[in-house]
Amino acid sequence: MNFANDYTAEQEAFAREVRAFLDQHIPSDLERPRSILKMSREQWLKRRDLCRKLGEKGWLYPTAPAEYGGGGLSGDLAAVIQIEMAARGLSLPPLYDSGKLAVPTLLACATEEQKKRLLPPILKGEAVTWQLFTEPEAGTDEANQQTNALRAEKERDYFIVNGNKIFVGALYPPPDQFLLLTRSSLEAPRHQNLAMFLAPANLPGVSIYPLDLFPEGTLSQVCYHSADSAPGFKYTVFFDDVRLHESCLIGGEHEGWKVANATLTVEHGDREGDRQSTGAAFIPENQLVKRFLWQCRHNPEVRNRLLKNPHLQADMVEAFIGGEIERLFLTRNAGLSRSGMRAPYAGPQATLFTKTLGLQMTGILSRVLGPSALTRDEAWGLEEGLFEVCARSGLCIAPGGTPEALKIVISRALRIGRS
Amino acid sequence: MNLDFRLSEGELILRDTALNFLKRDLDKRTLEELHDSDTGITEGLWRKMVEMGWPGILVPEAYGGSGLPLTTAGVLFEALGSGPLSGPLFATAVLGALIIGKAASADQRKELLPLLVQGKLIPALVLTDEELGWNSRAARLQVQEREGTVFLSGQKLLVYEAEAATHLIVPTPFGGKKEALTLFLVDKHSPGLEIRRLPGYLMGRAFEVTLHQVPCPPTARLGRVGRGRRAFAKAIRQALPILCAYLVGGCQAVCDLTLAYSRVRVQFAQPIGRFQRVQDMIIEMINQADAARWTTYEALWRLDTRGDDPKAVHLAKAVAAEAYWQCCTLAHRVISGISYSREHPLSLHTRTSRALYTFLGDPAFHKQRLAGLLLGKGKRVGKGSAV
Repeated sequence: MNFANDYTAEQEAFAREVRAFLDQHIPSDLERPRSILKMSREQWLKRRDLCRKLGEKGWLYPTAPAEYGGGGLSGDLAAVIQIEMAARGLSLPPLYDSGKLAVPTLLACATEEQKKRLLPPILKGEAVTWQLFTEPEAGTDEANQQTNALRAEKERDYFIVNGNKIFVGALYPPPDQFLLLTRSSLEAPRHQNLAMFLAPANLPGVSIYPLDLFPEGTLSQVCYHSADSAPGFKYTVFFDDVRLHESCLIGGEHEGWKVANATLTVEHGDREGDRQSTGAAFIPENQLVKRFLWQCRHNPEVRNRLLKNPHLQADMVEAFIGGEIERLFLTRNAGLSRSGMRAPYAGPQATLFTKTLGLQMTGILSRVLGPSALTRDEAWGLEEGLFEVCARSGLCIAPGGTPEALKIVISRALRIGRS
Repeated sequence: MNLDFRLSEGELILRDTALNFLKRDLDKRTLEELHDSDTGITEGLWRKMVEMGWPGILVPEAYGGSGLPLTTAGVLFEALGSGPLSGPLFATAVLGALIIGKAASADQRKELLPLLVQGKLIPALVLTDEELGWNSRAARLQVQEREGTVFLSGQKLLVYEAEAATHLIVPTPFGGKKEALTLFLVDKHSPGLEIRRLPGYLMGRAFEVTLHQVPCPPTARLGRVGRGRRAFAKAIRQALPILCAYLVGGCQAVCDLTLAYSRVRVQFAQPIGRFQRVQDMIIEMINQADAARWTTYEALWRLDTRGDDPKAVHLAKAVAAEAYWQCCTLAHRVISGISYSREHPLSLHTRTSRALYTFLGDPAFHKQRLAGLLLGKGKRVGKGSAV
C-alpha cells in the first residue's frame, strides 16, 4: 500500500513547466475572494481569459482527448496541473462551469460529428456551460421533467421548447450554452420520454432571472482552495416557444435519461467522469476544517474557550475526525481511479460524507466560534469570512443530489435498492 | 503520485491463508466454543498458527521471525477479525513482540523472542485498573524492593488473555525518577498471583489480576530499570492500528452478512433491503466500516514509512472501535430476531466488538488524546502517555 501522493521525477519535471506557465499567465491582480459574491465581473472575465489560455494549451480539460482540443494527458499529469492551480488558490476550471459535466456526457453519448463540433469550444475555454436539469417538479425525481421539447409540426428538424428550470447557473449570466434535459414525448413511458440537448443560451424565448438564495454553493464548492468553483448565484430559466435545431440533440430523441445518467454519475461522485476531463488523482484539501483547527490552536480566545470546556473539545475532535475521513474517502477514490478500479458505491459515498460533514460543521462552527462563525464583520469575523460563507453553504445539500437521493444511488450500487 | 491500495503478492497469500484456515478448521460452533473457553484457543490450533509463523510475523528474522511490516500484520489480523478468531495471537505476535522487541536488552531479545516465535512464550499485558486509563500513568502498583528482588502488589483489570498466557508483562513506575517506568516479565505461576475471569457474555476474555507481593527478580526486568516508558509507549502505538485491523475485519464481515441477509429476507412481499429505513442503516454501517478501514491502513502505512504518528493512531482506534460497535448494533436492528441466537454469526462479532471497545483505550480515551494534540499539548501529553 502507498498513501503518498508526492511527485515522481517525471511529474516534478512537468510541474516545473506548469508553474512557469501559470506564473506567466495568471494575472498578478487576480483576486481569490472567500465569498464568490465579492468577485467582480471584471475579475470573472480575467478568469475566463485564463480559461482560454489554459484551453489553448490543452490544460483546461487535461485528460480529455487531444483530437477534440483536450490535453490527452494521463490522470497523474492532470492532477499535477490541479495541484499547481490549487497552490495558487485556484480550481480547474478556475470558475464555475458545467463543462465538467458536459465533457464526459458528450464523450459517452454524442455522435462523432457532434464531438468535433461541440467539444472544442468547451475544452478550449471558449464556451461556458450551465447544466439545466432541475425543475420545480423535478428535483430529486429528475426524470419527472415538465419542460417540453416537442418536434415542431412543420419544421420537423426543430424542437419547440417550453418550460421552466430552477436552481441553475452561476455568476455571471448569460452562459454560452445549456446542457438541457427535457421531456420529448407526452405519451411515452417514464424514462423513455426524455431528450438531452447542448443548446445555445442566446436563443429567442430564453429568459434568465436570479433567485434570492442565501448559500453561495455547496460546502465542497466554497471550502476548497477558494470559492471559485461555487456558483454564488442561482437562477430560474424560462423557455417560451424556443426553437432548437435537432443538431443540438445528444443521443436519441427519447434517450435523454440514459444521457442524463452519464452526467448524474459524475455529479454523484463517480470519478470516472473526472478521469475523462480534468483527472481524478487530485485530492482537494478541505480548507474549512484546516482553518477551523488552526483557529482552535492559535486563536487565543478560541483556544481559551476550548481549554475551559470539554464539550467544545469534543466538537473540535469531531471536526478533525470528519475532515480526516473525508480526505481518506477522496484519497481512496483517487487511488481506485488511478489503478482503473471501480468501487460502485465509493463515489456517492464520499459525496454523501462531504454533505453530511457540512451539516455537522455548521453546528460545530457555531458552538466553538460563537458569533465569529456567523458574521463576516471585519472586527468579529475570521478567516476573511470563510466560516460565515461555510455556515450558510454547509446547509446547501441539494445540488448534485440530496443525501437521501445519494443513499438511493448507493443502495442501488449495493444491489439492495430498486434497479 | 503513487497512490496504490493493492495488497502485495505476499499479503494476498497471507490473507488467503488466514481466510482458508478460518474456513477449513473453524466452523461457527468451534469459534463460539473458543470464545467461551478461558484460553480462547486450543493447543492444536495454536500449534498450527505457530507452524504458519504467525506469532513471529513482526519479530526480526535474526530471532527466527518474519520481520514483516506492520501493514502486513494488519492484513493478517483483518482476515482473522472476520471470524472473529479468538486467542492469544494479538497478545503474543503484536503486543508481546513489540514490547519485548523495543524494551528488552539485547540478551533478553535473543532469549525471549525465539521462544515467542515458537509459541512457547505467551505474554499478556497488565495495565489498567479501576480508573480505566490506558496510558503509562495507569501502570501503577505498590512496589517494594528487598535484596534486589522487587515485590509487586495491587489489583488490575481488563487483562486480556491472562489464562492462555505463560507470562504477564507488567509495567509500573519504578526506578527513581518520577516519570520512570520499569517493565517486568512475570511468570504466571509466580507465588501471590491470582487471575479471575470476569463473567459476562459480552466481556470477552478479560481477567482481573491480583498481585500479592509477587516477587520479580532482576532477571524479570525487561530492559533497564526506569527506562521503559518511551519503548513501551511506542510499542503500544504500533500495536494499536493492528488491533484496529482486526476490528476492520469484524466490521467488514458484519456488513457483508447483513447485506446478504437484506437481499434474501422477505417481509411484506419484498426483500427488506428495499426499505429505505433498512438501507439507511446498512449505508451507515458501510460508512463506519470504510472509515475504520482507511484510518487504520493509513495509520499502519504512516508507522511503517514515517516511524511514528500518534495522531493517526488515536484517530484509527477512536474510529475503528466505534465502527465495530455501531456495525454490530445496526446489524442487530436490520436482522433482528434470529441475530440474537448464539448460532448466528453476528453474535460472536457483537461480543468481540464490546470486549475490544475499551481494550487499549476506548474512543473517548483516544479522542481526549487527539484534543491534546490538536490544541498543541501533544508533547506534554505524549511524554506521560503510553499512547
